[in-house]
Amino acid sequence: MVVLLLVRSPLLRLRALLQLCWGRLERGLLPGGLGRQSSPWGPALAVQAPAVLPQAANDAGESSAEAPGLLDSILWMAVPKKRRTIEVNRCRRRHPSKLIEVKRNIDVCPECGNLKQKHVLCGYCYTKVKAETHLIRMEMHKKEGGPFKAPTVETVVLYDGEKPSEKDEGKRIIERARKRPSWFVQN
Amino acid sequence: MRLSVAAAISHGRVYRRIGFGPRGRLDLLRNLVTALVRHERIETPWARADEMRGYAERLIDYAKRGDTDERAMRMANFWLTEKDLIHKLFKVLAPRFQPHPGSYTRMLHIPNRDALDRAKMAVIELKGNPLPPLIRPRRDSEKTLLNQLLKGYREDLHRAAAP
Repeated sequence: MVVLLLVRSPLLRLRALLQLCWGRLERGLLPGGLGRQSSPWGPALAVQAPAVLPQAANDAGESSAEAPGLLDSILWMAVPKKRRTIEVNRCRRRHPSKLIEVKRNIDVCPECGNLKQKHVLCGYCYTKVKAETHLIRMEMHKKEGGPFKAPTVETVVLYDGEKPSEKDEGKRIIERARKRPSWFVQN
Repeated sequence: MRLSVAAAISHGRVYRRIGFGPRGRLDLLRNLVTALVRHERIETPWARADEMRGYAERLIDYAKRGDTDERAMRMANFWLTEKDLIHKLFKVLAPRFQPHPGSYTRMLHIPNRDALDRAKMAVIELKGNPLPPLIRPRRDSEKTLLNQLLKGYREDLHRAAAP
């Protein structure tokens, strides 16, 4: 009896497999010449087609290229799983590394009263000095009269009503037609 | 033994990489040194001013040797692209800085540039130039509270010492 049972189970399995394959053939999943003979209905659609089916060309193309299944399929992209709650968002947005640093090195310039950073020159005072320097340089340019004529003696700047002292003996004198500003102390 | 050169480590490198390559960097610094010798005060990005400062001071050290020195003349010829400035360097700047042992330039920080890059700017000038001064050295006035207290304390000491 035991031998019969053992012999029967592989036969049963084989029968199940054969039934499965036949079902597939009937449905047309297994392509083959049997499909045309076994189906009771005629062809659903008859189309004039070239001898080489496009499926064969597709097969050839697919086999030649490496199949990047991962990149083709949209299902593999990185995507957030859950909505970030406002608490989590606040933790991230308000972290000290993301906030703007508070500057504590701002002072008041003692000369003009504008704000300045401690290690930087006052912007207003620097602009004032720059404007005056520009006017002095224009006077120098007029005196030189052309490019590449740098003098071979020192220079001194004198304002209205000032005379060269004994220290300014051999120096070139640049005259500025205005009163001496209070911040430009004469040496 | 160094078997491989690590790509992104630059420990101990003193020279900054500015301009187009090493030759471009030297040309840029040369232009800045020429401008400094001509105008005696220039405004440029802080990094360039910092790089240029060392070269300018060494050039003045060479100029102090005198214009008969062959090495000094060759250095001045390379570093000053406008040749009338060589005369100015040897006749004006060298005697001006003869009594000083070093530090002939002053570099100060300026508010960031107004353009889109907001670059950190500096003004670098030769000491003893005839232009108006950038900073006025302030001394505390006598009227401040601390100075008045110190003055009172000094007077008390004098009165106690010489009765």
